[in-house]
Amino acid sequence: MSNGCCLDVQSLRLRLLAPVALGLVISWLAYVVIALAGVAVLWGLVTAIANKPPGKAQLIYAALVEVVTVVQSLIVGVRLVLGARVTEPATTVGYLIGIVILIPIAWFWANNERTRFSGVVLAVAALAVLAMTLRLIVLWNPALLG
Amino acid sequence: MSEPSTLRRPTNTGAGRALVAIYGVFALAACSRAGVQLATRYSEAPLAYLLSAVAGVVYVVATFTLARGTQTSRRLALVAILIELVGVLSVGTASLVDPGAFPRATVWSLYGIGYGFVPLVLPFAGLAWLWRTRARAPSDRV
Repeated sequence: MSNGCCLDVQSLRLRLLAPVALGLVISWLAYVVIALAGVAVLWGLVTAIANKPPGKAQLIYAALVEVVTVVQSLIVGVRLVLGARVTEPATTVGYLIGIVILIPIAWFWANNERTRFSGVVLAVAALAVLAMTLRLIVLWNPALLG
Repeated sequence: MSEPSTLRRPTNTGAGRALVAIYGVFALAACSRAGVQLATRYSEAPLAYLLSAVAGVVYVVATFTLARGTQTSRRLALVAILIELVGVLSVGTASLVDPGAFPRATVWSLYGIGYGFVPLVLPFAGLAWLWRTRARAPSDRV
């Protein structure tokens, strides 16, 4: 009782760093990334079907998806550095790096020659971000595999 | 990047750019997967992990050669895509017949089931694109 405060700090620290806590804390952000990337996929396909190159709003939106993805990778990266434990840390780091480089490269590749296929390029990159983020969620929450 | 001396269409325009994007994603996926596997647990399944690395290299070569779109690069792309086709068919079949040889998945295991069978479709799409952009007589040109 006398050291109640210290125990509390300790348990808070454990909660922040435990794998389950990591999953719970980060999951909502991962779902945001998935939702944003999903819209980017659809948007890219819609402009491709409409036979139009991606518009300004679409390109800005892709940049927004990238910003949120970078924030996610940074937060998880900091947690890993602080000592958070995940299953397959190497894979996690690989994915965290992979998902932030896809959209910028696709962005330039899509703008270099602006056709309907620019939208497909953005959609492909966003779909990859979506798939890799889903995989990250499973890595952070092994229980999801059943 | 037009080449006045050739009647071939470059591989890096139009739909080819979407194809390059897909190859690029698989280059990243296969290479990072192989990197992690080889670095952390090579001894568990050396064959599968080396095949992952081969897949990664093949995807990287296909991505850059298709993206370059010169005559030389399209020849290299053809080689890479043929290796890719043989790879996904043989590894896919081998992993089905003898799962023990592939305790850990590679990109090509079970014909790329872990990647929505895109690895199986991709080499055919690549070959189709090389065929569509092949050299043609001037009269055939649109």
